[in-house]
Amino acid sequence: MHKFIPDGALKMKVIRPKGPEIFDIELDKDLLAKNKALARTNRRAFDRSKIMAIDVMGSVGSGKTSLIKAILRKLAMGERVAVIAGDLTTTIDAERIKKEGARVIQINTGKECHLDAHLISRAIKKVDLEGIRFLFIENVGNLICPGEFPLGAHKRLVVVSVTEGPYTVIKHPYIFREADVIALNKMDLAKAMKVSASQLEKDAERINPQASFIRTHAIRGVGVGRIIYSLGLRSYRS
Amino acid sequence: MHEYSIASEIAKNVLDAAEKQDGKRVLSVQLDIGELTLLNMEQVTTWIHELFKGTMAEGAKIKVRTIKALIRCPSCGYHGRGTMDPEDPLKHLIACPCPRCGSLAIQIEKGRECVLKKIEALR
Repeated sequence: MHKFIPDGALKMKVIRPKGPEIFDIELDKDLLAKNKALARTNRRAFDRSKIMAIDVMGSVGSGKTSLIKAILRKLAMGERVAVIAGDLTTTIDAERIKKEGARVIQINTGKECHLDAHLISRAIKKVDLEGIRFLFIENVGNLICPGEFPLGAHKRLVVVSVTEGPYTVIKHPYIFREADVIALNKMDLAKAMKVSASQLEKDAERINPQASFIRTHAIRGVGVGRIIYSLGLRSYRS
Repeated sequence: MHEYSIASEIAKNVLDAAEKQDGKRVLSVQLDIGELTLLNMEQVTTWIHELFKGTMAEGAKIKVRTIKALIRCPSCGYHGRGTMDPEDPLKHLIACPCPRCGSLAIQIEKGRECVLKKIEALR
């Protein structure tokens, strides 16, 4: 069974008797708060190792892996960048990223629709974090669930492509509200899709006026420099 | 979509707690859910019932209470309910602007919880 709560963490108050045999167990336990607490622990682990972590979220096929690959290529930092690739069952994305020279940690979530802080804490224990400056965490392709489960990353990048249609942003306010940077990808197809990039940008601004909104064409590397700058990665480059 | 993982977390916690208290049967489970969570509670309760099958909690009643959203606006100092439009129930999720000054940069104080409140069990 999936879990993100360590065993033995149960706190409870038992009230009795209500009838001869019926009793109440007061638990008062916020299950989403547990994930947030674990996310804070992950953040401290990243900070101790001087790693900046970026949670990359977006739909299936929005271009998360392609954008990460383009960023890695431009950063050209080899094994000083690591990528946690979250996927239901396959290692396809992990193999694609490995080609760019980064360290890759694969997490197969099985039946889960999102990564959670517990899975990340397990993944980072498995690898040597020594020498890593940036850690990209590629979430499972999904615009709904990852919004509810912070992982402890410093920045959150949401990738949305014009091929998802004109209403993707306004229909998924939750995930866009959590974003620091929004990449509107596959800009080369905007005209063919009859999708207005400026309308999507307006929608994003309505939901999250603080986020940077950047138009990209990841495969060609268009907009990738601005993504790197907006995530604050450039100042870390030495 | 994450209803299954939340449901399995709830089911595990219920069964663990009941077992530790030498419960023989779980009669009911009380959940308090924030109205700003993206949980479909019908799916959550269906999964809990399913996960309880064959355990001491099979057939337990799942009671769900809604925690109302409470927001704070740093720009004008508003503190209270968010903008809830009964005509457009999803509006509060889309923008949730401050009802007084319209600012979008509000802080959500309540409404994103998923609390396993209490269990009623039989010894």
